[in-house]
Amino acid sequence: MKIKLSWRIWLLIVIIALSLISIFNITMLSQKGIVITSVTPNSTAFEYGFRQKQIITQIDEQEIINLEDFANVMLGKYPSEENIKTIFKTKDSEIIWYSNNTPKITVAEIPKINIKTGLDLAGGSRALVQAQDKKLSSAEVNDLIDVISNRLNVYGIADMNIRPISDLAGNNFMLIEIAGGTPKDLEELISKQGKFEAKIGDEIVFIGGEKDISSVCRNDATCAGIEACQPSGEAYFCNFKFVIYLSEEAAKRHAEITEKLDINATNPEYLSEKLDLFLDDNLVSSLFISKGLKGQVTTQIQISGSERGETEEQAYNSAREEMHKLQTILITGSLPFKLEIVKLDTISPILGKDFIKSIFLAGIAALLAVVIIIFIRYKKFKSSIALLMTSISEIIIILGIASLIGWNLDLPSIAGIIAAIGTGIDSQIIILDESKQGKLLSIKQKMKRAFTIILGTYFTALVALIPLLWAGAGLLKGFAITTIIGISVGVLITRPAFIDMVKMIEKE
Amino acid sequence: MEQDNQEKEKGKKFWNFHDKNYKLLLLIPAILLVFSLIYMGVFYSQNNDFIYKDISLTGGTSVTIYEKVDIDNLTQILSEKFEDVNTREIYDLVTREQKAIIIEVKTGGCNESEIKPIKIILEDYLGYELINGDNASFECTGSALSESFYTQLLIAILFAFIFMAIVVFIIFRTFVPSIAVVLAAFADILMTLVLVNILGIQMSSAGIVAFLMLIGYSVDTDILLTTRILKRHEAPLNTRIFGAFKTGLTMTLTSLLAVTFALIVVSSFSIILTQIFTILVIGLSFDILNTWITNVSILKWHMNKKNEN
Repeated sequence: MKIKLSWRIWLLIVIIALSLISIFNITMLSQKGIVITSVTPNSTAFEYGFRQKQIITQIDEQEIINLEDFANVMLGKYPSEENIKTIFKTKDSEIIWYSNNTPKITVAEIPKINIKTGLDLAGGSRALVQAQDKKLSSAEVNDLIDVISNRLNVYGIADMNIRPISDLAGNNFMLIEIAGGTPKDLEELISKQGKFEAKIGDEIVFIGGEKDISSVCRNDATCAGIEACQPSGEAYFCNFKFVIYLSEEAAKRHAEITEKLDINATNPEYLSEKLDLFLDDNLVSSLFISKGLKGQVTTQIQISGSERGETEEQAYNSAREEMHKLQTILITGSLPFKLEIVKLDTISPILGKDFIKSIFLAGIAALLAVVIIIFIRYKKFKSSIALLMTSISEIIIILGIASLIGWNLDLPSIAGIIAAIGTGIDSQIIILDESKQGKLLSIKQKMKRAFTIILGTYFTALVALIPLLWAGAGLLKGFAITTIIGISVGVLITRPAFIDMVKMIEKE
Repeated sequence: MEQDNQEKEKGKKFWNFHDKNYKLLLLIPAILLVFSLIYMGVFYSQNNDFIYKDISLTGGTSVTIYEKVDIDNLTQILSEKFEDVNTREIYDLVTREQKAIIIEVKTGGCNESEIKPIKIILEDYLGYELINGDNASFECTGSALSESFYTQLLIAILFAFIFMAIVVFIIFRTFVPSIAVVLAAFADILMTLVLVNILGIQMSSAGIVAFLMLIGYSVDTDILLTTRILKRHEAPLNTRIFGAFKTGLTMTLTSLLAVTFALIVVSSFSIILTQIFTILVIGLSFDILNTWITNVSILKWHMNKKNEN
């Protein structure tokens, strides 16, 4: 028997195939190795060339297939007494690591599917942030996002997502999501306004940001770097120094204030007051001002500080981190407003895993129940199967589109998929039923009739969802998006194909 | 053959009854509708709101602890310290073993200073540390934001309803049938709301989404019915109503069955989905009444009047 399929059914088949390709990471299925998920910025590992998304396939000639392989090799070699060599082979490069410890990278198995799950499924923290006592404009929110992203990069937080969000009432928010992070991490990030003030006595000489600071020396050994480290008792101390350049205005202020100062009685090389550096109102460093600067309009100022560590390496690293933090704050300036977390969620991924399993079970149970009812009602085996296949293909296409546009599947999105499948089944019942109505009509006319009803239900559902795209800061947007995708796929692709299937079955 | 005739006889009897009494049947939904309106009026004057809100809509902190905990004792201790405390247990679907507990406390904001006291009391009681993302998870919503969320969601529902009504009017272009569809959808929502309140369910933002889903589901059958009656002429009115009834009831029953199944599976672990599905079950049940009594009677009345003229 030769079965001839209509173009609509072919279209459905092609789109299902494309969706499957989009869901499953086809290019990655055959790829062996593990993927780097984050590299601490400015770490030695970063300098050696490790980057996010690189795929490690071999270490020292040994093939790496899973995380266990990686852990075994690393634990076997590090930490070691002295610097040793390890050759990492990635997909398209080779890194020769020479150290006494493992590179600071995090790794994971290569993901086999492209579907991104939202925080409520993957676990992590999410904060919705607003300014304290101030309504933000969307431009202000974008500035805020720039500053915060800059900072997050500096602090080395990799797996994060920051975006502006606005709601129906015209409020603008910043949404920060950190996968695997805790709310404490988020609170720390956000509560630090990064207000930098340099004071002499009670008078402010300059603050962070481009208004007072025209440039900051970084990554240039002649004007920024770590000075020699010294042991002190059980611990080590490392000093850092870097030069900043003040604006004309700030330099004049500096001159006016220092003019009033006397020479230090005990230490005659310096002035009587120190230049105190405050970060978020905490004193981070106090610098002596050499007497030659008294009343001078100077645009060049050297900032220094020291950090402690149990080993020399620790002290060195923390000094470098601290220097980097100060530099960033001096460049990016403080956040223009004090921030407030208005909504803070954390979801443990423990719930996530169970959840996906249960949802899957629920879905299959519900679909089977529906098919049984349809079979009892219409006593048509083929049509019932066609209905089941259509609903399943709808789920596949929705997931395919979701992974294509990189949509995060969260709980509201799943509710949306359920809603879409539900209305889909309703429409298919209408089609089945119309095929039995009006004995005088051709099957084509009957299907046309069915489609007018379906279009009516489609448009009512569609317009009802539109307000939800904005309401509630878009946190329920997932529901609206997946439902809209689902019902549109239904009307445009699966329903016409189902109609053709019914036609075929009726003709037999 | 005889059985067929008997059934036809029965059908005839039913339709004779229906032809005589369909206007009277309208009394059932009408009485329910009036009762619902009065109930909501009283409810609103007492609570100054349309629903009982949970902390996702009032603002507060929710702590989930993934350990076995004696919940009664804990609830009592917390109630002494905080004004509005709510506790729930989560069970494993198969073993019925307690898997986690959820504690909700109304707090004003999400600052460390407001969350910390709750954590300290819990840790004192439990005797171990609560580590976020490990054996517990914390969620918090500020009250000002919740207020604004709630208002916006209500506006979203209102607009969804208005948009739906406009589309219905565009599809049918006649006043009485269109208003009948809109009225049936309105009655669905209102009656569901009343029952949700009578049951004392504290609604979350997800619950409000369920009402949106309800708009979509309930209008489906009404559109089917109205299209069959207004735009088809090959069979007598009662036959067309009966045809639509069979199709529509299959639609609603499959939805109900699917939702009930899903409800059984999710009820043990997801409060959000449980609420969505509970509201859908209630709504779909009312939809049977409102489509096949309210909407049918109004349409029949309208068609008969048109034929008289």
